[in-house]
Amino acid sequence: MKKLSIYFYERNRFREWIFFFFLILGFTMTAQKEVSGEVKDDTGLLLPAVNVFVEGSDTGTTTDFDGKFNITVPDENTVLKFSSIGFKDKDVQVGSQQVLNVVLEVSNEALEETVVIGYGSRRKQDLTGAVSIISKDDVVAFPSQTVEQTLQGRAAGVQIQSNNGGEPGAPIRIRVRGGTSINASSEPLFVVDGFIAGALPSPEDIASIQILKDASSTAIYGSRGANGVIIVTTKKGTIGKTKVEFNTSYSIQQVSNELDLLNADQYAEYRADSGNPIDQGSVNTDWQDVIFRAGAIQNHQVSISGGGEKTRFYVSGSYFDQEGVVIGSGADRLSVVANINLDINDHIKFGINTLGRRSTRNGVRSQVNSGGRGQAGVISTALRYRPDIGIRDENGDFTIDIDNDNPFVAATEIVNERKRDLFQTNMFTEIELLEGLTFKSTAGFNVRNNRTGEFFPSTTVAGDQVGALGRIDNRKQTDVSLENYFTYKKEINNSKLTATAGHSYNELVRERYGSSGNTFTDTSIGFEGLETAANTFDPISRFSKRKIESFLGRVNYDIDDRFLLTASIRADGASTFSKDKKWGYFPSGAIGWNMHNEAFLEEVDVISQLKWRASYGITGNASEEALGTLAKTESLAVVVNNGVQANGVTVGALGNPNLTWESTEQFNFGIDLGFFNNRINFSADYYTMETTDLINEVLIPSIGGVSGETILVNSGAIENKGFELQLSTKNFVGDFIWNTDFNLSHNKNEVLELPNGNQPFDNSPGHLILNPGAGFLAEGQPVGVFRGNVYDGVAQIGDGSGLNPGTAKYRDLNGDGVLNNDDLTVIGDPNPDFIAGLNNTFQYKGIDLNVFFQASFGNDILSYTLLELNTLQGANNATTLALDRWTPANPNTNVPAAGESDLRVSDRFVFDGSYVRLKNLTLGYTLSDSLTKSLKMTKFRVYLGAQNLWTYTNFPGLDPEASYRGNGSNADSNLNQGLDYGSYPNVKSITMGLNVSF
Amino acid sequence: MKNLVFLVSALLVFVGCADLDEDPVGVINPETFFQDADNLESAVNGAYGLIASEEFWGRKFTLSLMLRGDMVTIGDPGTSGRRKEVDRFTMRADNGMVAAFWPMAFNSITAANNAILNVSNVEADQGVKDRLEGEARFIKAFTYYHLVRTIGEVPFVETLPTTPDELLLLEKSSVNDIYQRIIEDLTKAKDLLPNEGGIRTRPSRGTAAAYLASVYLTRGEWQKAYDEAKFVIDNNASFNYSLVADFQDLFNAEKAENSSEHIFAIDFTGADDISGTDIGLDFLAPLTGPRGPAVTGWSVAVPTLAVFNSFDNNDYRKQVSFITEAVINGETVGWEMFSTTQGVQRPHIAKYFRFPGLAGANNRDSSHNYIAMRYAEVLLIAAEASNELFGPTAEAEGYINEIRSRARNAAGIQNSSPEDINISGQNADTFRDIIIEERRIELAFEYKRWYDIKRLDIGAEVFGSTGYETDVAEQQPFDPSRDYLFPIPSLDLETTPSLLPQNPGY
Repeated sequence: MKKLSIYFYERNRFREWIFFFFLILGFTMTAQKEVSGEVKDDTGLLLPAVNVFVEGSDTGTTTDFDGKFNITVPDENTVLKFSSIGFKDKDVQVGSQQVLNVVLEVSNEALEETVVIGYGSRRKQDLTGAVSIISKDDVVAFPSQTVEQTLQGRAAGVQIQSNNGGEPGAPIRIRVRGGTSINASSEPLFVVDGFIAGALPSPEDIASIQILKDASSTAIYGSRGANGVIIVTTKKGTIGKTKVEFNTSYSIQQVSNELDLLNADQYAEYRADSGNPIDQGSVNTDWQDVIFRAGAIQNHQVSISGGGEKTRFYVSGSYFDQEGVVIGSGADRLSVVANINLDINDHIKFGINTLGRRSTRNGVRSQVNSGGRGQAGVISTALRYRPDIGIRDENGDFTIDIDNDNPFVAATEIVNERKRDLFQTNMFTEIELLEGLTFKSTAGFNVRNNRTGEFFPSTTVAGDQVGALGRIDNRKQTDVSLENYFTYKKEINNSKLTATAGHSYNELVRERYGSSGNTFTDTSIGFEGLETAANTFDPISRFSKRKIESFLGRVNYDIDDRFLLTASIRADGASTFSKDKKWGYFPSGAIGWNMHNEAFLEEVDVISQLKWRASYGITGNASEEALGTLAKTESLAVVVNNGVQANGVTVGALGNPNLTWESTEQFNFGIDLGFFNNRINFSADYYTMETTDLINEVLIPSIGGVSGETILVNSGAIENKGFELQLSTKNFVGDFIWNTDFNLSHNKNEVLELPNGNQPFDNSPGHLILNPGAGFLAEGQPVGVFRGNVYDGVAQIGDGSGLNPGTAKYRDLNGDGVLNNDDLTVIGDPNPDFIAGLNNTFQYKGIDLNVFFQASFGNDILSYTLLELNTLQGANNATTLALDRWTPANPNTNVPAAGESDLRVSDRFVFDGSYVRLKNLTLGYTLSDSLTKSLKMTKFRVYLGAQNLWTYTNFPGLDPEASYRGNGSNADSNLNQGLDYGSYPNVKSITMGLNVSF
Repeated sequence: MKNLVFLVSALLVFVGCADLDEDPVGVINPETFFQDADNLESAVNGAYGLIASEEFWGRKFTLSLMLRGDMVTIGDPGTSGRRKEVDRFTMRADNGMVAAFWPMAFNSITAANNAILNVSNVEADQGVKDRLEGEARFIKAFTYYHLVRTIGEVPFVETLPTTPDELLLLEKSSVNDIYQRIIEDLTKAKDLLPNEGGIRTRPSRGTAAAYLASVYLTRGEWQKAYDEAKFVIDNNASFNYSLVADFQDLFNAEKAENSSEHIFAIDFTGADDISGTDIGLDFLAPLTGPRGPAVTGWSVAVPTLAVFNSFDNNDYRKQVSFITEAVINGETVGWEMFSTTQGVQRPHIAKYFRFPGLAGANNRDSSHNYIAMRYAEVLLIAAEASNELFGPTAEAEGYINEIRSRARNAAGIQNSSPEDINISGQNADTFRDIIIEERRIELAFEYKRWYDIKRLDIGAEVFGSTGYETDVAEQQPFDPSRDYLFPIPSLDLETTPSLLPQNPGY
């Protein structure tokens, strides 16, 4: 033992220790025969890092930098397995030889590359559907708290945006081929290592991501496939020496933009001008300077992977910590992944993937729906708060304006903390029952626990009168999946048949508990001290359970590598629908034609791929709401018998025996082209999707006296149509490498039919009290359009308008002489015409450069921020546009006079939100092999990067990736697109990082 | 291999078919809820609670009744348009006041039906069942009585809702039919309820009788109105009804609970945001109180100066009914100095603002149990019905003078005003005027005046050039063919075509 410890001490090399550990676990050594040799490719080049393994055991080694290996084998009958990425595996019997020289054949990667599809995988060239593939390098191109964020701009037809600017830990909105729903979710389904709705690990732990877009790809997920399916594969251990990877980066961040606001003097003058003057304070505060700071991200990850022929493992730990650019905000994440694969024998394989994570978000209030007393958000307040006073007044008390805390207090005194814990484990057993027939069983569960705590101490307006105010809200979600399926593969002459049939069961349980309280003894105790509140109220306890059972089947039939046929069907039964409507059936079919394999094209060398694809299918979307179809009695807290609280009941909700799935019928037509041995790859897809039986809330006639007011019914239809182009080129190969990936997509969304005709609704911040609201759901229009008046400049002296000079004027569209709701029109559409991504990677010797642009064109933004600031009603600060306001001395302007106009939605506040953004620019340097080797490493790379360094846009607000209402229960609704109010600002960052492996 | 096949088959059988039935976990299942008296009582509580809500008695409905009459108009000129519309006879079919209280009225009716229709499903003492059924029938009649007078023809719902489609088949009932059903329910309630419940926010036999008297009076069925009022008066000892000594005590949240004069009151608690819903929430104090920097009213519903001047200065009831002073900037000032920023320089209503009891910020959510019916009104009903039947009588004179006598007690000091009335030289017409005027003064701001104007058909007169609201800004001339009714909310007409036609003129 002493010797052993000295060995560790002297070598002091972690990887060896780990390797040794696994050696002890894995097997005992019985050395009988030594074999050595060289491995070369077919051109005679010596190959380093080739795995050499004794078949049927975990004994193994890898070739060194000169392609040489040394291994001890039990006896002469031993078979050595040689494997290396990019080469075909080779088995060699040792026999009597002492020296073995082996030649490995190059495998044709383009031909062999497989793509994970639902319940199986296919060779990429055999795909019949529309699938986007995202490489693991793109996912880690820059540090990111979530994987979702990194997908922006990477795939055609996939639109991604943060729901709250650059907020640490902000939710991300993803739309694959547009929004298919109004009230049900339009978020895609994530399948992680086969686990439906699984949680994603850290970006560094991702091996590959495939986005299934057309119905023939997603219909195997039936009722959950209508919004696309994102299949994520996590990293696994590979046969070979134990590998340790270490990735670390540090970023500094700042807000991407600030607004030019009036200073104290300008503000005082503006208020005086408005007829609503202020007593000007003695200071000049730039509130944006007060709340914004330099933010920082540190991101570290270590992984250890390796294994033998029978056991492979990948373990990884990562830590991400972000200090937000707004004071008082930040987030961190700590996660661990452990993936183990076992080959129990020739017929049985087993694997387990485990993910544990804790993340914390210290939020600041942003995007709040109401600016009511003490409730305003930090960002919106910083813009509108009077600049002539400071954080504290002359008495040392915090200042207050418009019934609200100043931005500093709102950011630093109000506590809003969310802690999220996740544990996920997923295991599979795969058994080869007969030749070609395998059975796979997967079982997994994940538990998510989210706790939000909020506290308004007595130093804040909301906490002042009530002796501080606190709230705790805890949500727990448990998702259990059990899936069993058979796969049968058979080759008949020139054709290949793959058939899959199985069963799936999924159960989702949600629980929620919480309470609020005020009148605290210690008014700065924090939400953790909720039980010390003298007055507690709003208790929450909710429980729901949703079960989905499914049967699925798919047949792939490939004839002669030329004709590819796919047909699938899934039947889903959901507990959330009533007895006779539980089951939905989702079929699909697709054909592909590999024209380049036809005799007449085989001789054309230029064309390496020419494939036509067509598919059709039906997918579904369920109501997430458990108990949505049952009649309910509602409990009411009432007061009877002179102020005594008691329980009351009434009819809460009507039973709904007819509610069923939303269904989306999709047609896809695509072509894949490859030229010059696939140095140029081009794909184009055209699709149409029609979603019918939309799950809509419909008013129950109020004479029914049902307190729930609405009922979910299936009615209405939406259409999405569009095309997607993807071009990948290898511009230079050899020493200097230049690769380009470009994608461009267009989607047109249209409401075809609504149950109750056109529906106006309000999506503005509550305190603006806009009537009418800008929301408008209308047949023939896309979901999410804005409706309002057409701005017509300002009234002038003697122009006969009857308005005070300088008042905002709006066009009387129907010319009836009255300005009313009949003069409203659609003034903007938040859906982009095109979204695009352009990625360039350059490599020369050890230097690599990545330049990634992402863009959106033709989307409109309705800025409630600018509406509040620049209507100039004389109640709050304004941008410097106010300096050009109408005055008798400055009549030639279209900026209204101070204090003359009411807040009103008009095209004056609708802007073109198009932008082109340099999302990432990274320059890296990798040490040469010889240097790396002398450092006993396999890779050493340093890089310097910048994110969001440059943006081109005409949007005059803070950022064109605007969002509002992204945090509430309706966050994902397609009705809340392109709105701008009080969002956390977007950020630009500079990142330094290091990647090391040994 | 065989073992494997067996294992796999076993596994498949095991997971085979899941049970997709949905259990109502954590929610109340209507099919199994009604078991005992407590369950039935909570259904009745639901009906009360929905009446005691912001949309109904807490603001929308009561404010509408005040503004509609000739005693109260808008104070704050910047207040919302939906309130101005009610006040100025410019109501549109999409008016936000009626759109709020209409569904809440039906919610309460459904809650009451939920109790009535489940009486037979619970195991309980017959006496308890009778009382609860009586209460449910009463609260349903109470709600319909308000609805039929404000909206006119509405569906009289006697079943529980099952599907939206079935609700579309419900037809409107005629005003006569609705009154007949109200009378049936009140008569049953009178039978079923105990003589004295003790708690005045819940009805007893006397409550049902008092409302029957009011309904008959509205219908002009004088004999029945007289009989029911007389029944209450004759049994006042066993019902424990009398006038309280000090008029002010009726409008003091601390003193008004269970006073002998209360026949029915709506229960509020004074706890801000307890339920997080609109139930139990009221704004009557701030709505009627004066606005000012340190004064917590909103000057929304304020009498005209003419109304103030129409009260006898020496009548204690004027002092109790009006706020004429407020502390502004540390100084007590008269109404002439009230704030004009979102306020108005007029005396304000005091009945709700002065003593709100427990209350949240801005006096929101007072603990006032607002009076819906009190003994003084029963005396006035008896006097009016008797006058219609027999002309002026000593009995009727006695009822009025009982009220006036109490009014002369100004917190222990005996005033000389208001003097007793004397029927000598009066005929039925002049005596009617005296009684109606007594109602106006005694029941001022208690949501009775508009109904009096409507039942007596004096709208054209009281809103005409001799009325109290002659100088109200932008007031449309009163149109008797339209303005005695509120519109049916336009949204409901859209969702429920059986409610057509809309009330005339909207």
